[in-house]
Amino acid sequence: MLGRLSKGDNLFGIITGVWLVATAVAVFALPPVEPIEYFGYSARILFFHIPMAWIAVVAFLMGAWWAVQYLRKRDLAQFHHGSLSNKVGLVFTLLATVSGAVYGKLTWGTFWNWDVRQTTIFILLLIYAAYIVLGYSIEDEEKRARISAVYSLFAFVTVPFLFFVIPRLGITTIHPTSFNMTFNMVLVLVAALLGITALFIWIVRCGAAYRRNRVVEPTAQEEPASFAQTSKDLQNGEDQT
Amino acid sequence: MQHKPSRFPSFFMSVGAVLRKDALSELRSKYAFSTLAVFALTCLAGISMSIGGGELTQLNPQVQSVLLWIVLFFSAMAGLGRVFVQEQDAGTLLTLKVSAPPQAVYFGKVIFNVFLLVSLSVLVLILFIVFFDVSVSDWLSLIGVLWLGSIGLSIIATMTAAMAAQAQGRASLFTIITFPLILPEFLSAIEGTRAVLAGEAVELTQFLFLGGYGVVALVAGSILFDYLWIEG
Repeated sequence: MLGRLSKGDNLFGIITGVWLVATAVAVFALPPVEPIEYFGYSARILFFHIPMAWIAVVAFLMGAWWAVQYLRKRDLAQFHHGSLSNKVGLVFTLLATVSGAVYGKLTWGTFWNWDVRQTTIFILLLIYAAYIVLGYSIEDEEKRARISAVYSLFAFVTVPFLFFVIPRLGITTIHPTSFNMTFNMVLVLVAALLGITALFIWIVRCGAAYRRNRVVEPTAQEEPASFAQTSKDLQNGEDQT
Repeated sequence: MQHKPSRFPSFFMSVGAVLRKDALSELRSKYAFSTLAVFALTCLAGISMSIGGGELTQLNPQVQSVLLWIVLFFSAMAGLGRVFVQEQDAGTLLTLKVSAPPQAVYFGKVIFNVFLLVSLSVLVLILFIVFFDVSVSDWLSLIGVLWLGSIGLSIIATMTAAMAAQAQGRASLFTIITFPLILPEFLSAIEGTRAVLAGEAVELTQFLFLGGYGVVALVAGSILFDYLWIEG
């Protein structure tokens, strides 16, 4: 699959990969200074957790944007962009949830607490999992695109209300919102955010390239050739027996 | 007053016609409401039996309100999806599309579902009081929370029913895609009901939220419904 990417995309992918690996190395190479070491060595998980949560939000916003574009222009490419974007968002939401739960176990003493952030991220998981199930259960592609787009936009309008409800339920948050960070830490965090955003762009571009290849592939010339090849193989097989 | 001859009857008349059609067909088949009612009875009886009688029935208000809303939610999921599925099964979907403007269908179906769930909520409340020995002091607040919550729930469920009707595995899908969307209304209604059952006053903002959420869902649904209906 990667071989069929354009040269630009290949280069972009390699640079992104190198960048992300370098950032990961930098995270573990950070000097163990006070603010981050307050919770012990494990606090380095934040340099993974924050970018994952960030890219999940970006992916869902882009997914909603592409849903609007699809409904306006009826270009299936827009739907595929949006669908892939939402799936990437779901994967990163899951990763952010898991990394958050691990860190919660280390600092709060429990994996799950129904903290405000945990509640909202869990609902995001539910919504986008439902979005994917809805997509799988509709066979016709145009119909799937249309209904998925409507669902994601309907969710997009109603979900922000959660931010009004949850504080009213008496759930308080102990999720940290800010840290005292040294300049080096800020630098590594920004590098991680940039790297993961590039990764997101690259994934969406790969998805588009993959679909282009798939559409072009079964041409009129190729199919008879492959049929001929198959029948030849069969004949050879028969000859041998 | 001069009457302008028009091809389509006025909007409100169309909504009324859709509603009347659904009500008539419900009165004939009695399917939706009987399913809802018996489902709710089954749920409530199941919970009540497994808890047992006597002192055990006196649960704390939080648990009571959670149980009440879970019963209502799953009953709604059992019955509200039918508004669109029924048109497909009966083969009347195309006729309805041709004969009524999409917005009239939307509002007609929403009103029908609201009516179903609000009547169901009354039934569930009565059964609930009988089974769980609930004492209510502030009836007005309780009915307010119950009905506003039910209205919001049925507005959203109508929209998701229109989506699920076009997919495979409609019944289970309907529950999956509805639950996350009704959560804000659901949690808020549970909190309001808890407050009433605990003898506390329900804040005005709580009512505003419950109503406001319904209005937002109604408007968003109205905007998006055309995409589901016209080409579906």
